Amino acid sequence: MSAVSTEAQVSEFVRAARADKTPFEIVAGGTRRGAGKPMGDLPALDVSGLSGILKYEPEELIITAAPGTPLSEIRAVLSEKNQCLGFDPADWSQVLGSNGIATLGGAMSADAYGPGRLRHGGARDSLVAFRAVNGMGEAFRGGAKVVKNVTGFDVPKLMCGAFGTLGVLTELSFRVYPRASHATTLCLADVTPDVGFAALRKIAHSALEPTGLVYLPGNTPLLGGIGVGAALIRLEGAREPLAEKVTQAHGLVEGAQVASFDARRLFEDVRSGTAFAGGDHDVWRVALPPSEAPKVVAALNPSLWLGDLAGGLLWIGAAPADAARIRALAAKHDGHAMLLRASPEQRAALGLFAPQPPALAMMARNVKAAFDPLFLFNPGRL
Amino acid sequence: MKFPESNTEILSRRDEIVARLREIVPDGVVADKSGLATFDCDALSTYRQQPLVVVLPSNREQVSAVLRYANAEGIPIVPRGSGTSLSGGALPRADGILLGLGRMKRIIEIDYENGCVVAEPGVTNLNITKAVEAQGFYYAPDPSSQVACSIGGNVAENSGGLHCLKYGLTTNNILGVTFVLPDGEIVKLGGKSGAQGGIDLLGLITGSEGLLGVVVEIVARILRKPPVTRTVLASFDTVTAAGAAVAAIIADGVVPAAMEFMDRACAEAIESYNAPGYPKAEAVLLIDADGVEADVSDAIARIGAIVARIGGTLKEATDEQARAKMWAGRKAAFAAMGKLAPDMMCMDGSIPRGALPEVLAEMDKLSAQYGLSFCNVFHAGDGNLHPLILFDQDKPGDLERAEAFGADILRLCVRVGGVLSGEHGVGIEKRDLMTDMFSEPDLEQQHRIKCAIDPGGLFNPGKVFPTLSACIEQGHLHVHGAQMPRPDLPRY
Repeated sequence: MSAVSTEAQVSEFVRAARADKTPFEIVAGGTRRGAGKPMGDLPALDVSGLSGILKYEPEELIITAAPGTPLSEIRAVLSEKNQCLGFDPADWSQVLGSNGIATLGGAMSADAYGPGRLRHGGARDSLVAFRAVNGMGEAFRGGAKVVKNVTGFDVPKLMCGAFGTLGVLTELSFRVYPRASHATTLCLADVTPDVGFAALRKIAHSALEPTGLVYLPGNTPLLGGIGVGAALIRLEGAREPLAEKVTQAHGLVEGAQVASFDARRLFEDVRSGTAFAGGDHDVWRVALPPSEAPKVVAALNPSLWLGDLAGGLLWIGAAPADAARIRALAAKHDGHAMLLRASPEQRAALGLFAPQPPALAMMARNVKAAFDPLFLFNPGRL
Repeated sequence: MKFPESNTEILSRRDEIVARLREIVPDGVVADKSGLATFDCDALSTYRQQPLVVVLPSNREQVSAVLRYANAEGIPIVPRGSGTSLSGGALPRADGILLGLGRMKRIIEIDYENGCVVAEPGVTNLNITKAVEAQGFYYAPDPSSQVACSIGGNVAENSGGLHCLKYGLTTNNILGVTFVLPDGEIVKLGGKSGAQGGIDLLGLITGSEGLLGVVVEIVARILRKPPVTRTVLASFDTVTAAGAAVAAIIADGVVPAAMEFMDRACAEAIESYNAPGYPKAEAVLLIDADGVEADVSDAIARIGAIVARIGGTLKEATDEQARAKMWAGRKAAFAAMGKLAPDMMCMDGSIPRGALPEVLAEMDKLSAQYGLSFCNVFHAGDGNLHPLILFDQDKPGDLERAEAFGADILRLCVRVGGVLSGEHGVGIEKRDLMTDMFSEPDLEQQHRIKCAIDPGGLFNPGKVFPTLSACIEQGHLHVHGAQMPRPDLPRY
């Protein structure tokens, strides 16, 4: 494995790979290598040396860091100023059974969002600028380190969720968000998915600005004593305003109780996919229009699952044989099923996502080639 | 401003092109002189050009057929929504088809369960809100032209508004689009789930200023209307103190729904224009907090404490009428400025908020250097600066000086880490300044993306990216005799 710690070194490495026409894998913490199509035995470029917070101005709401910076480091620095990343980035090392340290660049490249996405959107909604090296070995930037910018194409959007296939990132600037001083979680226990998700959607469409809306089925390993299942509502604010928001939420969802368990920990487990760690099932993340989540659950009847984002995301643990049904159900309900974890054979056969319609696949391929004409970066992974 | 040469071969085939378009869209082709004249500019009316022909399709199949034809024949296409662009994004070409989406204005579906509206591109921004407001919902981005501008145009320009810091731009408020590529192929990007199952092409086409294709359907996210909005006016003895207050409010974790800065010249002009009760001060901040009552009270209390600590004076609007009056002042800023001089140019840069005192001081120097006065309105929450340059076009050399002053202001924005455009777009007006903001590799990368989707270079040629024959420096919205282009639209 070659290691780099400066943008110039990245450029040099890419130019050499281009000259040799040798594709390579981009690795930082290495925690997400188990997701996506296996790329075979390729040389790897270790970018974990591109690490560290480069600039943080809390009053500008912008943090700039090298992509190999550990998520834990970013979180610690932001929380000192009561701020956070909008996409609530997830460390998937438990569910993927990997060692290593989850990084900022890995999380945004994999679109690894957590329950907090509900409030502030995905990585795409807060990555305002980046630097990267393209497939020609040229360093370039996209976006700018300001909150509001419409100058030129919005290239930062493309880099989020691209699984490293468009460039080797060397610098990332995120818009950050204030974090409230207090949080309360309400639990509506012993409700079916239909009833639970309906309650969550009601809160989602209120003015309460919830920061987490999760449904857990009764058999979840994360929480006991919830009957057939529970809807969890997370609200945040300063102490007194929060109390009033909780009262209003009670008015909207009758029967919800203030959680007596460690809800913060629970939402962290939801984010990480802890419930899906171990075992020999495949793990799916299925993005859906929220109203479709209970329908997909009813049709599939999975033994291991949970719903995040008020139904906008289903985590599903399923037997490998269920794959075609899951993909078909996702498509039928206007969603997308991402295969997060499976055997190498299964991943090779299914890919991260279902194949796109031909015109869209061609558009995506052409855009990819605009960055990396020889397809050197993480070939075939996405 | 220099435009690419017209293709004389296309000009000579005009009759044939018009006839073929009439076959595709029998009831939607405008080819007569007087008809074409109504499409010769958008809201940046300094630049005018009659199009070769205007076609107004009424469904996506017609759009696709027009694009297939234009692609096969190598005819340039300029897409247009309502023509309210402030950067010349919809300026026609003599050798190009102007593709107007204004007839496609159906709201296809309202889905409260999933918090979205599915609309055709010609639906106005405000009509999305109107369709859902009875149920207590609204569409958040609110460009000042919202009564007229179309949702399709909003997607093309990634339009903003007064509330971007809290609610984001268009790109953060749409879940999906149906998009027609230059070769006529129709693709669906995203949908009610917001997910795409691949790279974020939805993010790419949003704000691409008509350079990549045509949006024919939009899934727009709607939000619950905040039950409470409160407004305060804070005034300060120095610009630096106002800047410090803005920074302290943000650092304290308050996200105001809007936070508008006006300098002394601006506040005084407004006060003499419609007397909203703005105090005599070096800087005035107009701040909205919205949400549930408890959060709003908390935010207003914290803002009040910060303003007091910094030595400012705070006044709160006590009722809805007072609130409207405070905002009427700010919303009349452009009109009020228009009274101060025969002509006015509105700039649109974006800067890190912390750079505001430095940028204002530098602009004062530039003002003295060019011998032109100016004033400032500033979306302080999100760093979007709108300097208004005052001049007199009838005075020889004034226009050129104003243009040069404007270009220097945008370069200043870039120098302090900001950008050429916070919300108006690059279009034709800031095209030649792109090299001041982006390096050659940065621009080449964007060019390659353009070529990947529009290899024929037929979509909105001459916009956004500088041509080899870069020429006059530009960067302004030109207003003559206090008359804004589209005077029926408020601009703020």
